[in-house]
Order: sequence, then structure tokens, then C-alpha cells
Amino acid sequence: MWPQVGRRGPSREAQKAPALWRLLFHVLSPRPADDAAALPAPEAQARLVKSALRSQGYPRPALVQLPEDGSQGSRELLLALSWLLARGPLLERLLAQIRVRLGDEMPVCECEVLASPGPPAPRVEADGCVDIRHLQWLMGKLRFGWRNLITSQQEHCALLGKVHSYTRGCHSDRSLGHLSVTEAELLRDPEGGRQLLRRLESENARLEAALEWRRRELVFWQWMDTVLDACPPEASQPTFLPRIPERGAGELELVARELQALQEELQAVVETRRAAWEARVGGWGPGWKATQRASEEAVRQELTALQRAWERGGGLAQPHGPHRLVRSEAGTLGGPGLRATEVIKALRSQEACLEAALRQLQGQCRQELARLVGALPGFIWILPPGC
Amino acid sequence: MLPAGCSRRLLAELRDALDACAERQRQLERSLRVSRRLLRVWEPAETPALEPTPGPDTNEEARPPARTPSPQDLKELELLTQALEKAVRVRKGLSKAGGRDEAPSRKSRSIVSPATTASVPPRASGQAGRRASETKPPRGVRQTTVPAKGLPELRLLSVGDQTCKARGAQAAKPEPGLRDQQMAPSAAPQAPEAFTLKQKGILLRLPMAFRKAASQNSRLWAQLSSTETGDSMDATTTAKTQFLRKMQSGWPSSRLCAAEVEAEVGRLRKACSLLRQRMGEELTADPVDWMQEYHCLLTLEGLQAIAGQCLHRLQELRAAVMEHQLAPWPEGRLPSAPSSCGGGADSIWSPQLLLYSSTQELQTLASLRLRVAMLDEQIHLEKVLMAELLPLVSTQEPLGPPWLALCRAVHSLLCEGGEHFLTILRDEPAD
Repeated sequence: MWPQVGRRGPSREAQKAPALWRLLFHVLSPRPADDAAALPAPEAQARLVKSALRSQGYPRPALVQLPEDGSQGSRELLLALSWLLARGPLLERLLAQIRVRLGDEMPVCECEVLASPGPPAPRVEADGCVDIRHLQWLMGKLRFGWRNLITSQQEHCALLGKVHSYTRGCHSDRSLGHLSVTEAELLRDPEGGRQLLRRLESENARLEAALEWRRRELVFWQWMDTVLDACPPEASQPTFLPRIPERGAGELELVARELQALQEELQAVVETRRAAWEARVGGWGPGWKATQRASEEAVRQELTALQRAWERGGGLAQPHGPHRLVRSEAGTLGGPGLRATEVIKALRSQEACLEAALRQLQGQCRQELARLVGALPGFIWILPPGC
Repeated sequence: MLPAGCSRRLLAELRDALDACAERQRQLERSLRVSRRLLRVWEPAETPALEPTPGPDTNEEARPPARTPSPQDLKELELLTQALEKAVRVRKGLSKAGGRDEAPSRKSRSIVSPATTASVPPRASGQAGRRASETKPPRGVRQTTVPAKGLPELRLLSVGDQTCKARGAQAAKPEPGLRDQQMAPSAAPQAPEAFTLKQKGILLRLPMAFRKAASQNSRLWAQLSSTETGDSMDATTTAKTQFLRKMQSGWPSSRLCAAEVEAEVGRLRKACSLLRQRMGEELTADPVDWMQEYHCLLTLEGLQAIAGQCLHRLQELRAAVMEHQLAPWPEGRLPSAPSSCGGGADSIWSPQLLLYSSTQELQTLASLRLRVAMLDEQIHLEKVLMAELLPLVSTQEPLGPPWLALCRAVHSLLCEGGEHFLTILRDEPAD
């Protein structure tokens, strides 16, 4: 792609823009579109590209004003592509997304799963009202779905364990030791194996091209500088399309409500405790000032550490991303790699946290409902056993 | 019946959750199909071309020209033949017993295993190399194995057995040695038998072309992931920063974009849950002396301050969203960061290893992961349901049976996860 981009000429203008729109669409899609049938029309693609770039903060308004039929604007689109390239490891991220997976991979966290959802099912927008029983039914369906999922997952793990142990010692790479399902599959099905090999070889070619690009990158940026300079100065103010974000605002409101509730709770607790403390400490001498300051410092440090857990760029201590499963009996392979026991420990503590959070929310609901219906005389509310 | 807006929103949430669950199930089913097929008997057309000479490829280039066996070779071959004859005897004994016993087959395997592995002491590898060279002449025998139709090894075993016993230091002698290595662990030598992973999985070898491509692949990924610092890299980074600055010039960069807002909201949600967790810890802690008590009090006050800061930031974000009417990526589900994970480790692009020691461990890990995901979703749904349903209960005034039914349903959904129901009795005053 890159050498072609270099060869610009006015006669190629008509072909460049649509190709660039398509490229940007594929780069910006939340999930790489596998089947051509699901791809939206070129004009729709262009609109989505504009929207995505805007939501990421693309600074130049000229992009918004480009016609969506692809008749012009290849320079602006090229600038947009370069902007995306400059901001982050775009190339590496894209390559990683379409990487050939040779091992049996298991994600140790949930990021990837949520980030690449399936294509949204065609939704029949029922504008009617539903009965709450329909919701209860859907919830039940969901619970059942999860139970099925867990059972299937257990079977899958058992099968993986078998494949791994039956092929001990087969792998040329000693650190792996056994074959993965993909590798065994390529031995079982030679035709499939040939296809896999072809995909692997083309990925190698892509990786080499990426490394080559890295070596020559400076020239590209120097050239883009000239392209940017050649642009006419922007005159008009950006006009944003007025669209109220539905889901985004919803999320924000939820978090706001939570934080509000948390702050109120903390306020109540703190007020009573502070008052009680002041009452006790009132008669104490100056000698205790030093210890007071020491405590303050200690707490400050603890809370700063806590804050780091959610601040930008913090909290990478958790294992992350997909990992290739390797079976090693009782730690015979002392090499690098995450140990399952560690991951299990981390997951268990996460589970405990989440269970506590869920129970807390449910308790909150119980209290709220009790309050709402408590005012009503004449009824006895018998809670289910175990409450 | 629930009001239209509420219905629509709740239906959307639940359907999203159901779709996500169905997608996971589909992917899992795909993997299950593949794995199940692998563990069944492999169709004859699919029987792999078991590499007759494990480790010859490393010696292929260094293969010496075919020569007559030296006395040392003959001696080694003699030892090998004896070992293999023993293996055949053991195996015949096994098949007579009618069962498969792991121990003897493992023993016989271990006899020949030092000779099969590629990374071995030089003596054995030399042996393998010489054997490889000596397999060149009996091309006729070899040809029948490579196409891998049916079960070639058994035919060769009978050939090999005879050559083993009948001939002396013949060039064809190494053949049965190699064949026998493959046959050692199998149980029923007499009839041609289908290939199963369980019985013969350890004999599989990946094809050379694939191995080369795979090692090149990991080498290239390692190169790509390495953060090289050099003059060229610095110059490139500077050029990029300069380009970005130029792109931005003229437009106030203080304006937030929707992606950043979303990311910050996610961080603040994580902050809220961590703060709440910490608050819970402090409230349940039992201070033994006044110092701990003071520490506890200070912590709670600190948490309150941080919560206030977060809330303030959120209100700033809300104002920015309202003012600029930032629209998020409209198509499909928004890729929002889940609360349990931090940012991505984007410098490592190829997967790292996860070592497990038993199937039980793997199952525990997998089910815990799913459980965490399920709890995450449950909490999210709980919050959404709370936000939509609690107001309904409080605002619906007619206190007739429909309202009671609603209360009961809401209680079940919100407080019991939809699993239990409470009972409502009308308390009739006894007259």
C-alpha cells in the first residue's frame, strides 16, 4: 500500500479517494469485517469514517466537509491516515488483530472478548411496551446461556488437556513441548495444513514489510510535512453534527449516580467518626502531633497508590491478553510464562470483589424496596428463604 | 406493562447480553468440533505422514555420502536390533494379554527414544545421521510409506522383522529400526489400525516447511515488538510529534473527543468500585488501638475527598458532552473497557505462554474467567435494572394487584437475581 500512496498524481485522484475511504473504514472498524456481505455501502463507510475520526478527536474540519462519494479529498484522507499512524502503534495493532494463531489461546482477562463483539444482529425495533415477565424470561434465558457456556468450556478444557498430553514431546520448540490443536489439525488435514502454511507465510511477508516500513518511516513523515504545508489554510469553523449520544451519556449518568451515592455514604460515616474522635482527642497534649502527622503521611501514600490503580497508564500488574496454553507436568518447564496458579489466584480475588459488589447492590435494592412498600399497610411480605 | 422508553432500553440491554453469550457459545462450539474430531480415529486419507526419520532434516545438509557401515556401526546396529526384538516380544505379549499397558510400551519407547530426539548428544545424532544416509538406498521400501495411505508401518514391520532377523549388516537394516520406533507404543500390531491421537500422538512431527515458517514468524514478531532506541527511531518519533502538532495547530486542543470521554468514564467507574471496596475494608476493620482508629478515620476522609474529585471530573465531562454534543462511534456495540482490567500492554504483540499442570487446573482457570465475566455483566445489568425499575415502583400510584405483581417481579429481579420470589399476603384484619 505504502509505495502506491507515494505515487500521487492528479490523474489518479479519482481512484485514490475511494481506496483511502475503504482503507480508513477497515482501520477504524471496531471489528475487522470478515464477510463482504456485511460491509456497508461506500457512502455509509465514508460517513462512519468521519464519525469515528471525529470521536477520536481529529483536529481538521476539512474532513467533515469532504463529499462522501469519493470524488475528491485524497489529500485530506491521506492526512487522516497519517494522523492515526502518528498517534499510536496502528500498524502493530492491526497486524496483531489478524495474526495467525498457532497455539491454543486463552485470554486471562476479558478485554479482548468485549472489544470484538459479533456483528450486531438485525434488531427489530419493537416500539411497544413489554411486560415485566418478558424481562424475567430473558434474564432466565441469559442465566441458562451462561450455565451452558461454562459446561461447554469445561469440556473444551478437558479435550485440550488430552490433545496436549497425547502429543508430549512432539514439538520442535522445546519451550512448548507439545502440539496445539491447530498444529495437530494441520497434521490431520494436509490440505488445511497447506492453507495454514500459506497464511503463515503471507503473515511473515507482512511482518517483513512492516519492519521495512519502520526502517524507512522517517522519509514518510518528512514527506507528510510537505503535504501538510501544501494544504490551503483552513478558514471556516468546524460544524459538528448535533447528535445526542445515547449510550455514552447513559454510562456517564450511571457512574455519576454511583459516585454520588458513594460520596454521601462516606460523608455520613466520616461525620460521625470525626465527631466521636474529636470528642476523645480534645484533651490530648501537643505530644501526639508528631504521630498525627506520621499517620497523615502514611494514609496519603496509601491513597496515592490506590489512585494509581485507575489513573491513565497505571494498573498493568494484572495479567492481560491472550496467552498460549502450554501443559507442563508439575512445573517441569521452568521457562518464562505465566503460571496458571497465579492467574487463578488473581481471578479468585476478582471474583470475591465482584460478588461482594453484587451483594451490596442487591442489599441496596432490598432496602429501597422495603422502604417503598413498607409504607403500605395491610400486606405481609414473606421473603424467600435464605434472606 | 412497562413504559415504552423503559421497555426499549431494558430490552436492548438484555438482548445485547444474550447476543454476546450466544457468540461466545458459537465460538466455543467451533473449537469443540475441531477438538472432538482430533481425538476420534483419523480417517485413513488423513493419516499423517509420520516422519520416518525424526531428526534427519537437521542432518540432511550435513549428510555424509552413503558408505559401507563401519564396525562401530555394526555393533550399534546389533544392540539396536536386540533392543527392538525385545520390544517386539514385549508387544506381542501385550497384545496376547488383550490389554494396553502403559509401562512396557514406555520402557520400550525409552530404549529407542535417545535415538529419536533431534537434540541429543553427538553420538546418537551421528547415529541418526548415518541411519538417514543408509535409508537412502532402500528407496523402494521408503516410497511405500511416504504417501501415507492406510497403515504402511505394519507392512514394513513385517518386512523389517524379517530383514532384522535374516540379514546381517545390510543397508536395509536401519529401516525396521525406524519403523519399530514408531510401532513400539502401539498395542495391536497384527491388523492395520486406524490412527488415534491417544495411541500415536507422540509420533507426530510437524513438517519442516511449517517449522521454518513458524520460527521465522516468532522471530519477526520479536523484532517488531522490540523497542529499539537509536538515532533513526528518535528522529522518527520527533517527526511524528511535530506532524501531530502541526495538524492540531489552529484548533484549540482542549476540546475533548468522545473516545477520551468514554475512556475517562471507564476509569472513573473503576475508581468508584475501588473506592467502595476500600471503604468496605475500612468499615469492617476492627481497630485495636487509637492509632489504627485514627488511621481508619483519615483513610475514610481521604476516600471522601477522592470521591469528590472524581465526581467533579465527571461533572466536567458531562458538561463537555452536552456542550459539544459529542457523538460516539455509532455502529454496533461500543468497545468499552471492562472494569476489571487495566489498559492494554500494547508493547507485546505476540502471545505469551500460560503454563498449566493438569486438566483440573485448566478447567478451574477457565471457569473462573467465565464467572468473573458473568459477574461483571450481572453487576452491569443490576445497575441498569435498578435505574429503570426502582423509579417505576415508586411512581406508580395505583396500589392494586398489578402494582403488587410489579413489586414482586422487581424484587425478584433486583434482589434475588431472578432466582427466587417473595410471597405477598394480604393481611385481612380478623373481625
